[in-house]
Amino acid sequence: MEILWAASFIVQLALCGILIKLRHFRRLPFFTAYVCLNVAQSLVLYPIFRYYGINSHAASLVGWWSEAITLLARLFATVEILHLVLISYRGIWGLAWRLLAGTSLVVLVCVCLASRERPDLALMRADRGYHLIFAAALISCLALIRYYSIRVENAYKVLLVGFCFYSCVKILLNTILYDFSYQQHHSPDAFIWHIVVVFPYLIVVLFWGVALAHPLPEKRKEVVLPPSIYQRISPEINLQLQAINKQLMNFWKIEEPQQ
Amino acid sequence: MNYSVAVFAGIGLLLLLAIAWLAFSETRRKTKVIRNGHGGREGLHISHLPQIKQALANSDFMYLKEQGHPGLAKRIRTERRRIALRYLTCLRVEFERLLYLARMVAVMSPHVPVAQEIQGLRLNLEFSYRYYLIFFRLVSGIAPLEDIGNLSDMVSALTVRMETAMSELGEQAALGAEFLPHNGGGLDTGG
Repeated sequence: MEILWAASFIVQLALCGILIKLRHFRRLPFFTAYVCLNVAQSLVLYPIFRYYGINSHAASLVGWWSEAITLLARLFATVEILHLVLISYRGIWGLAWRLLAGTSLVVLVCVCLASRERPDLALMRADRGYHLIFAAALISCLALIRYYSIRVENAYKVLLVGFCFYSCVKILLNTILYDFSYQQHHSPDAFIWHIVVVFPYLIVVLFWGVALAHPLPEKRKEVVLPPSIYQRISPEINLQLQAINKQLMNFWKIEEPQQ
Repeated sequence: MNYSVAVFAGIGLLLLLAIAWLAFSETRRKTKVIRNGHGGREGLHISHLPQIKQALANSDFMYLKEQGHPGLAKRIRTERRRIALRYLTCLRVEFERLLYLARMVAVMSPHVPVAQEIQGLRLNLEFSYRYYLIFFRLVSGIAPLEDIGNLSDMVSALTVRMETAMSELGEQAALGAEFLPHNGGGLDTGG
């Protein structure tokens, strides 16, 4: 456990070093803050775990509060990266943040409805709910980026995929380790929990480190068409698509009696 | 196992698969088709429309049957169905090309109304659904070949209008084409 913690701490510290040395913090201030907060979390939690024990109330209290802060920082970091990816595409960025907000709201309602029972599991379920909302919203946004064939630079892609991967892993771990364990009438061991949570994060941080070891791509030039072009062409296309679909529908209807 | 555990574990796995697909899937073929496609009018399927319509006409089969060559009529019908299938595929490629142009305009626009894009996406999904419906009916031999001509007319009309509209974009559109993904787009294209 301690070896894993030490490895995770060293890798995070190295990532901090890369962010500062290569001056990535200028372009990624929120991401840098997120990594620094994680390092600080490790620094705060380690002595508490050592002194009070990993299963203690103090460890749980400090652990969850520090986790809440880092989760908030992660949200800002993700929005920051998405904004960097879409900075040259104003219209699509407008769509993306609406999609992020919409998906988050829908998933939040679903999570609240699904987590009404068992108040003793509230914290775990809140954590799982957060990761579920986060992953769903991020995947929707990445799907939107793909739909419009927008190029995502390798460094940003690794950061976004890393965030999403870790959230998916946390959803699975929360569900299997906590939900399932409680149903079997025994609580999961905090020691095992920390190992299985730290390991995937360590992998993600390693990938981030490799991706950020190179200079970040230059900002692309924004090319903006006059709004009138979209307003004229897009409804025209949609009308034509509608007409084609009607034609296809008629085609189907014409054939029905022949079967 | 409890219902909620199975549901959340399933969702977690699905999200994991989705991110893996988004991260590692290959470049969309659509953009490749567009880049390799012809820019001029001669590259559009409309220029082959009379030949295709002739190939799809039912009169040839009727004539052969009347002349006492049902075997030959059947063989020709099979061959022409194959041509029709290829033609249907070409229609889809052209349709996707037009959609790509529409997306390009959206990507370069400073303001993209959500409703307009949702409508475009919905229509695209509808087209795909109906296209495959016709495609499978054609493969199974229950779709009359000549009716594909109507579908062709619709796509041709759209093509002509879009070509005209896009030509008005002039220099900006050319700049935009450079600005758009050179390497095929998608999440798998970075660095």
